[in-house]
Amino acid sequence: MRNSINKKTLEYLAELSRIELELEVPTPEGGRGPDRRIGEKLLKDLQKILEYFDELKEVDTENIEPLAGGTIGKNVFRKDEAENQKPKIKSQKLKEQFPEEENGFLKVPPVFG
Amino acid sequence: MISLQNLTIKQFHQGLLRKEFSAFESVQAFFDYIEEKDTKISAYLHLTKDLALSQANKVDVDLAEGKDLGILAGVPLAIKDNILVEGEPATAASKILANYRAAYDATAIKKLKEGDAIFLGKTNLDEFAMGSSTENSAFKITKNPYDLERVPGGSSGGSAAAVAADMAVAALGSDTGGSIRQPAGFCGVVGLKPTYGAVSRYGLIAMASSLDQIGTIAKTVEDAAILFEAIKGKDELDSTSTDYGGVMINHHTELNLEDIRKLKIGLPKEYFIEGLDKQTGSAIDEAVKLLKSLKIDFREISLPHTKYALSCYYIIMPAEVSANLARFDGIRYSRMQTHAEGGQRNSASSRRRSALEEIYFRQRGEGFGDEVKRRIILGTFVLSSGYYDAYYSKAQKVRRLIKEDFDKAFKEVDVILTPVSPTTAFKIGEKVDDPLAMYLSDIFTITVNLAGLPAVSIPAKKCKINEGETPVGFQLIGKPFREADILGIGRYYENLINK
Repeated sequence: MRNSINKKTLEYLAELSRIELELEVPTPEGGRGPDRRIGEKLLKDLQKILEYFDELKEVDTENIEPLAGGTIGKNVFRKDEAENQKPKIKSQKLKEQFPEEENGFLKVPPVFG
Repeated sequence: MISLQNLTIKQFHQGLLRKEFSAFESVQAFFDYIEEKDTKISAYLHLTKDLALSQANKVDVDLAEGKDLGILAGVPLAIKDNILVEGEPATAASKILANYRAAYDATAIKKLKEGDAIFLGKTNLDEFAMGSSTENSAFKITKNPYDLERVPGGSSGGSAAAVAADMAVAALGSDTGGSIRQPAGFCGVVGLKPTYGAVSRYGLIAMASSLDQIGTIAKTVEDAAILFEAIKGKDELDSTSTDYGGVMINHHTELNLEDIRKLKIGLPKEYFIEGLDKQTGSAIDEAVKLLKSLKIDFREISLPHTKYALSCYYIIMPAEVSANLARFDGIRYSRMQTHAEGGQRNSASSRRRSALEEIYFRQRGEGFGDEVKRRIILGTFVLSSGYYDAYYSKAQKVRRLIKEDFDKAFKEVDVILTPVSPTTAFKIGEKVDDPLAMYLSDIFTITVNLAGLPAVSIPAKKCKINEGETPVGFQLIGKPFREADILGIGRYYENLINK
């Protein structure tokens, strides 16, 4: 079936979404190993949901413009200027949420390699 | 002494002014009661005691100094845990935010603070507001106060249960596809989802930005309106928010019966289907009869694309979810402890992941629950190359057809009356493993979000806790920015059933 998800597509989508599907769980042997059941259930659920979406095929949408949402229907502009005080968020408070900081810089692990 | 039972905002305000109780005493009474009652209900995730007591102190000092107090001064509220209150936890019921504390106030919270309202705590929800039963919380399962074996609905199940069980006078929730109205219906309280743009979403943890709206949950229509009045309005921090065009809600909720009788109510035949359970159907019939006794004009209408709303919604919403939840990377908003910290793994394409990517994969893999993962992956799929036209673009076109159905209907009628959900509160565990069955419980509420309309869920009759009844709600849908119409009719209805 063209418009559906198989195991390979699911793995690729999880990769794009940066989600580890095979989480480590305790194994019967006493160690830890990847749990494949999460991915299997997810795949079945997604296939069922996509099958349900098939009903949309019967709707005639010829010459219908897509609607993204919203109620005002016009652009909202503001002056292009620095907002030093608004919103009054102290940068320190935001930095406090960050796991690691060094000399006022936020520290992350290597991006390459 | 203060009686918490059925306490409304106006009653609270009068009691405070008459010095029947102090704000401080009332907050203490609420915390004492919550500590006893919430062991059974589990509505709250965190209590914000220090904040509440200091807010109460200020109100008492103001009162002693003879300052004028606003209608919300000292009123104890519950806040859904996806709305930011500075310095307090905001987990959105997700493990990935277990250690997060809000760095600022949501605009709705800021406005309530300016009105001297008091925050008792943060309430439970389905993780990131994704669900219809509050069973998807990473931390606890909230029970329906009317029957502890049943769900309170969701995703604002904690807020609805807290109000229904008198553990708060009123509450804030958020509604993306019914998350205020459905739990309000299940718990026998009033839930208002305002027009898209009526209330700023700044400081609401975003789920699906073209659908999300902050709204109110209360014991009476009047209270829901008072709270809405306090939080609505344009905010430059949310470009989708808009001014109210000068239509004052207070004036309109005090519409006299003559004005109410000028409104026409439509009954869409597509909402009165076979799947509607008997108890719900007959309660709605009774509600319509009562409203007809006010000599309001009813007529049957048609919203022909209703059938496709569920598919449309479950394509558009996950698409937006997949984009909005990309920000949760285990870096910016605190980090949680993960189980395996071992070596680097290879990706599905056998590419070696970097150390930074490894953090993303583990934090998101362990931090998100099943429903959140399902929606992120589904959203990524419907937006991906080769499927975009068949799913996402198609759904947006159907969304326009659904909105046009409403536009046409509102040329004939002013307000539309429907059930809130096809059934009353279901049993805990009944639908949790079957996502499609769970999604179907939103079938009557999602069209409103797709079209950006205001809607309110109102208890069809008075139910008493512990008498074996489960509440049924009906929904009134209004024209954009005409909350006044639906709240006005709602108030007259409430008077009828309270007689």
